[in-house]
Amino acid sequence: MTGSVEVVYRGIFQKHLGQRITRGIVLAAVKEGKVGISFGRYGDSPERNGIPAKSFAVVADNEEELQAHLARYEPSNNDVTVAVDDTLCKGVESWAWYGLQPINKLTRAGGTVLATSMQSPEELLKDCHRKDAEWNLAVIKAIPSFSGLWVYKDDHTDVRILGAIARLAPHVVKLESIEAAIRQEWGDELKVTSARKAYERVEARKVRPDEGNSEKPYEFQLPKWWEMKEGLVIPGIPVQQEVEGWNGGYRPGRNPTFKKFSTRTMRPVVDFEICTKCTLCWLQCPDSCFDVTPSGHYDANMEACCGCGVCEAVCPVENCITMVNEAAFDDNASQFEMYEKEKDTYKTWLKGKIEDKVVTFRSHGFRYRGQYEEELAQMAAGGQLHSGVQSINEEPGAGPG
Amino acid sequence: MGRPAPLPTIPRSRRFSLPPVMKGTACEGCGALPAADLLAELLGPKMAVICPASCAATFSLSYTNASWAVPFVHWIFESAPAAATGLRHAYDARGMRDVQVVCFAGDSGTLDIGFQALSGAASRNENILYICYDNEVAMNTQGQATSSSPVRARTPTTPGGVPTLKKDAPRIMAAHGVPYVATAAVSHLADYRAKLKRAARVRGFRYLHVLSPCPIAWGYPHDQTIEVTRAAVETGMWMLYEITDGRMKISYRPKRRRPVREYLALQRRFAHLGRREAQRLQKRVDESWRATP
Repeated sequence: MTGSVEVVYRGIFQKHLGQRITRGIVLAAVKEGKVGISFGRYGDSPERNGIPAKSFAVVADNEEELQAHLARYEPSNNDVTVAVDDTLCKGVESWAWYGLQPINKLTRAGGTVLATSMQSPEELLKDCHRKDAEWNLAVIKAIPSFSGLWVYKDDHTDVRILGAIARLAPHVVKLESIEAAIRQEWGDELKVTSARKAYERVEARKVRPDEGNSEKPYEFQLPKWWEMKEGLVIPGIPVQQEVEGWNGGYRPGRNPTFKKFSTRTMRPVVDFEICTKCTLCWLQCPDSCFDVTPSGHYDANMEACCGCGVCEAVCPVENCITMVNEAAFDDNASQFEMYEKEKDTYKTWLKGKIEDKVVTFRSHGFRYRGQYEEELAQMAAGGQLHSGVQSINEEPGAGPG
Repeated sequence: MGRPAPLPTIPRSRRFSLPPVMKGTACEGCGALPAADLLAELLGPKMAVICPASCAATFSLSYTNASWAVPFVHWIFESAPAAATGLRHAYDARGMRDVQVVCFAGDSGTLDIGFQALSGAASRNENILYICYDNEVAMNTQGQATSSSPVRARTPTTPGGVPTLKKDAPRIMAAHGVPYVATAAVSHLADYRAKLKRAARVRGFRYLHVLSPCPIAWGYPHDQTIEVTRAAVETGMWMLYEITDGRMKISYRPKRRRPVREYLALQRRFAHLGRREAQRLQKRVDESWRATP
């Protein structure tokens, strides 16, 4: 019998994390006398910053079964799909131009999607697309770990996920072998405890086929070889898209086969009231994601925004552009249209989103030693953290309430 | 609705010309994109682009679409300038002399692998515009050091820091006796724009070297792309100048140069440097500025 696990992670930020999880599964399986292999998806390389990528672990009883399982591009019947960042539940769009793949697409019927998130399963379910069969959704309550490329952030996310997998798919790996593998690989008893705790705490929720996001995932048709032009010539993209009723507005041409819906972990919200129309965000945005509206405002188009935050950094007006956690949004609608329609509603909405930023602090990897300690302190001050680190919990004002 | 409101800093015509390049799969906070953008915007439809293997080639092409609205050739690593030469002569033979042939290459495709073809095209003084976007590593293949990596910077292939000095590409190109050589940075877009314009008017081999940082390789948060580039220019680590017919002219001289350690502190790749090494770098920068006209 074979079992497989896919780990969906953010390219580069979580590369080491994804590799550690799949490697851990295979090491544990070997302890049970099985064989296994962990590998990354070829189409994701070279990985791009923030663009979703995948890593797989396949475990089998013998060599032949393993070989039979590997004769395909990616395992299509996974027992567990791990989303190490909760915003990945909105879908996976690899830069190899497949369109948007729902997070549960490669999960087998009755399989589990496991996410690390501070959201409840019900909230997270709003992001996940529907599936024809019944499946399970499990959440490890944790702040998604952005380990970064330069420094690995060892916050035990890897071992906690391993422990949870042992509970959700015991026929792939068992807890005892996971514990043995952790001892062998990292030699840390605290990590073993973390894995065991995650094993005890993780809970899966059944999801019916009629639950979840009813939106049809974005897709496109690749041209067939006989449709392509002679000499490998491919057409360029028109410079500008006409927008109906936008007298004087301008929307640059955008890629019809690659959208950045699933690349973002942050999203800019713009306060159009205090915008001075200085053009800096539009000029400096590496992805040209800003549409110029007829009134001269700059509207971040979610089709092209990858959430880098350059606009926030160059904006000269205080609090005009704010980067907010992507998890706080459910759709990709235009902010400017909302502003045009109902200014007061927009203001309330904007205020709510900006306040959300304080609660859902996000960082993308570390730059220097000791930054993790600083981040922990910051999270404790924001009321996000209430366990584990003694010294922080003892400080006045720490913890929720 | 009616007429669009006038824009304070940018001429109105500009508003309808950005950008023929549209973005495919570049990283968050990519520094090469602004460099490509402005090029596409300024030279517009009368241009053909040749791009050797690089990040730019990857985000420019997919199976179904080309990101550039102009003829675009994805060429092999070693010989983009040679291919550009061929394209130039083909256009000339067909009487299309007003078409600009542009090479858009990374620092590895320019200074290491593609250097012999580049040097050849420059010494023949072919009528092409060569733009090198310099992120100081070979990032499309996971960040190996190139000869354009600055001294002491950490990369996956030089964990102790690059032992050699950064190759001074613009001056090597100027030594070929080409009519126009310039450096630019993506934080100083007006300067880059003016240089592109000037380069477009000159006939013969023109070389532009654009500093375009990479958040992953340099190790800074990806919203800081513009800040880091600005710091490189204002600390004097990156000099903005142009060399017209052998005469060098500094195009931007910071009023008071910020200390180099401010630039180093922004990036993870210099995190291992001690104070003495930072001072040594500062000294080198001071000397290079003293030597300028």
